[in-house]
Amino acid sequence: MTINRREFIKANAIAAAAAVAGVSVPAVASNLITSSDITKLKWDKAPCRFCGTGCSVNVGVMDGKVVATHGDIKSPVNKGLNCVKGYFLSKIMYGKDRLTTPLLRMTNGKYDKEGEFTPVSWDQAFNVMAEKAKDALKKDGPEALGMFGSGQWTVQEGYAAVKLMKAGFRTNNIDPNARHCMASAVGGFMRTFGIDEPMGCYDDLEAADAFVLWGSNMAEMHPILWTRLTDRRLSAPHVKVAVLSTFEHRSFDLADNGMIFTPQTDLAILNYIANYIIQTGRVNKDFVSKHTNFRLGETDIGYGLRPEHPLEQAAKNNGKTAGSSTPIDFDEYAKFVSTYTVESVSKLSGVPEHKLEALAELYADPKIKVTSFWTMGFNQHTRGVWANNLVYNIHLLTGKISTPGNSPFSLTGQPSACGTAREVGTFSHRLPADMVVKNPKHRAIAEKIWDLPEGTIPPKPGYHAVLQNRMLKDGKLNFYWVQCNNNMQAAANTNEEVYPGYRNPKNFIVVSDPYPTVTAQAADLILPTAMWVEKEGVYGNAERRTQSWYQMVEAPEGAKSDLWQLVEFSKRFNVEDVWPEELIAKKPEVRGKTLFDVLYKDSSVGKFSLDEVPEDRLNHDARDFGFYIQKGLFEEYATFGRGHAHDLAPYDRYHKERGLRWPVVNGVETKWRFKEGSDPYVKPGSGWDFYGKPDGRAIIFALPYEPPAESPDEEYDLWLSTGRVLEHWHSGSMTQRVPELYKAMPDALVYMHPDDAKKRNMRRGDLVKLISRRGEVQTRVETRGRNKPPIGLVYMPWFDASRLVNKVTLDATDPLSKQTDFKKCAIKIVKV
Amino acid sequence: MTQSKDSQPSEYHVASFVAYPILAQLDEVKQAITDIEGAEIHVTSEEGKIVFTMEGSSYRDIGTKMDIIRVHKGIINLSPVYHQILDESTDNDAIQQEPKNILKELEKNKT
Repeated sequence: MTINRREFIKANAIAAAAAVAGVSVPAVASNLITSSDITKLKWDKAPCRFCGTGCSVNVGVMDGKVVATHGDIKSPVNKGLNCVKGYFLSKIMYGKDRLTTPLLRMTNGKYDKEGEFTPVSWDQAFNVMAEKAKDALKKDGPEALGMFGSGQWTVQEGYAAVKLMKAGFRTNNIDPNARHCMASAVGGFMRTFGIDEPMGCYDDLEAADAFVLWGSNMAEMHPILWTRLTDRRLSAPHVKVAVLSTFEHRSFDLADNGMIFTPQTDLAILNYIANYIIQTGRVNKDFVSKHTNFRLGETDIGYGLRPEHPLEQAAKNNGKTAGSSTPIDFDEYAKFVSTYTVESVSKLSGVPEHKLEALAELYADPKIKVTSFWTMGFNQHTRGVWANNLVYNIHLLTGKISTPGNSPFSLTGQPSACGTAREVGTFSHRLPADMVVKNPKHRAIAEKIWDLPEGTIPPKPGYHAVLQNRMLKDGKLNFYWVQCNNNMQAAANTNEEVYPGYRNPKNFIVVSDPYPTVTAQAADLILPTAMWVEKEGVYGNAERRTQSWYQMVEAPEGAKSDLWQLVEFSKRFNVEDVWPEELIAKKPEVRGKTLFDVLYKDSSVGKFSLDEVPEDRLNHDARDFGFYIQKGLFEEYATFGRGHAHDLAPYDRYHKERGLRWPVVNGVETKWRFKEGSDPYVKPGSGWDFYGKPDGRAIIFALPYEPPAESPDEEYDLWLSTGRVLEHWHSGSMTQRVPELYKAMPDALVYMHPDDAKKRNMRRGDLVKLISRRGEVQTRVETRGRNKPPIGLVYMPWFDASRLVNKVTLDATDPLSKQTDFKKCAIKIVKV
Repeated sequence: MTQSKDSQPSEYHVASFVAYPILAQLDEVKQAITDIEGAEIHVTSEEGKIVFTMEGSSYRDIGTKMDIIRVHKGIINLSPVYHQILDESTDNDAIQQEPKNILKELEKNKT
């Protein structure tokens, strides 16, 4: 199956064009298998392992190994199409350095933080882990325990982890890597609508007259959705595409209006559009008066840095009131945005006036159905929640929302960022179905469903992702388990705020991964993990689509799923080890039981028998625990949302469908939420009903432009933006192990403007150092690549484990969402 | 394609296109495409959309060939979809590190 680089990129080109033409990818561009092989293949469906698009793929298994994948023609998401990563999906499980045994740092046969990684049995691994966890609990209580999970966990894994941490260990110190990815989107949804996740769906792609990309390079990061968008643009000549970014990228190829703006000024552009809509008399007054409220938000809220940082010292409102707001009326709002004129915003942003006007007109013209897409440009932003609020403002002012083609649409980067991180609520402040730990009613609901005594779940939100790293460094978080992510590569300011915590002698760090990632190598114990179709699971994509799959192949001997690891580990703890006597006294029958008994086997999780798993179907975890654990976890979890606008269908139905978009009411999925006729939760006669808010009204927020945490100066004279590439998925731990993808994009280069290179006496291919106040990284200069930054800004992707760009980034976060801004910091570049 | 700059001879370019021909002239258009050196048709949809690639050594090379099709009388629309360049002169230029060295580098820490 090896093909050379030329053939590879040609196949890539064919796949892209065939996708646009809406025809199946011809044989040359398929993951080739001969006709005689086909007869031996067993096919089944699974959602793709990579991004949040949620394509369905058909997985071909031969002799116990996945040998082929292709786009699932029955899938409404990808309609048989594949992107280049999906195309080589079959190879991700077969990297040569796949881990198959737990590895513990040891010296002379004993655990030693400074020792060498030594193979140990699962039993030994869990013994050491349990001992370390119990020590930490005894010494400093539940707050010394923490877990960093993932938007790539299956729904069941995330749910099992939440239960283990929040109810079992009684700590809220669990957060997903999705914090880096879409926490600002969550914050935006909750603040504007009172309920999480997009109201629209991918059907908007075929219905819109205009698309606006805000800090999203869909051409590379969501290629299948980009294909659908391209097809719409090319088959309907009136359709317009506007693309905004801080540098030019591949999505600009299709743009009718491409705009490069100065970092952070997207906030001003959004307010300008609102002002334009008001000034040109195009406010949808009927909609606004019936369905919205106006509020003035708190400002000067800081940058989520450590409290002693000068920026935090200077900020007036970076405490608990940062997210507060006061009611205003339309006139006050109109006055607030009136200073965002085309002249002032053009000057601030660097975008020519006529381009701003053309952009604003797409939103203002009542005849144009407009869909806004955004990803990391908005979300990885020190004012990320604001950016989300501000884009909703312009859709709400015009009533362009919740109808086909009118859609403010936040896209996600991970396959189950929505399903697992958001819906299950694996965040440090959350519970399933949008509930939060600080609300006593919500805790009571969870405790009732879990059949646990009142007061089991602690009310205080735990450490979020960035705070976890800081607390590890400060020695306050001492037992830490990382599953299904690569945070040593992904988190910002690695030198100062990530690595020191992992190697702090007070801490014991466990990392579960299929491969020896940077994070795994910084751990004390590595657990080998079964991945994707080596287990059964459920993912939820960016359009609220829940999809399931069965286990199709055995994991390599020794590797175990994250679910198995979590649940098996729970057997090591008696309730008496983790709960205080007064809590146990409220439910004496738990005495002497293990957390496995209380949280899983004897709860509703354990009620589905193995008889439901046919003998010829693989399901290692269910057979090992003695009950159909994946179904039990899913059904118990689904109890949280049913009847509360998060309804999921029965588990078995998902195995028959290519996914369903929640809420699924009376067996029917929901395409557009909040609109009468398409959403069963909308009150009859209301037209629109933003029922996440008690009065059914969404909020239009008055929020200003505020500057970024760090900007270029005389010494650190360039903006640095980090990001992703088409060929690799996030940190590259899977895709870098696919030879074709590795060869196509082996190293992360720094993309810079030719004039910037010339000014520094650099040429394309030169070895250079990127230096910030926090660290440095070496790479080579690219001046002619697919990304074309303006003068004064450079772009470097973060997929490359040998060039860790996050050694130079800044761990400034949005104070509301706690999501890091990876798109803006100041660096200098010098020749090596 | 947004780049107009010509490129070095050591490059390999591949671009893919969807051509929307007048159906009555489908065969003629297909012939015109296959006559071009480096062009190859991969599939034609039921509606007559032609998926083809062009390989060449520079932007100019691809651009010149593309123009031949663009101005063909049987063509309604030609959509360039994809263009990738392989710089074959820097093939062996990659820096590769063993992952274990990464930790050492992290330990070195700050500037």
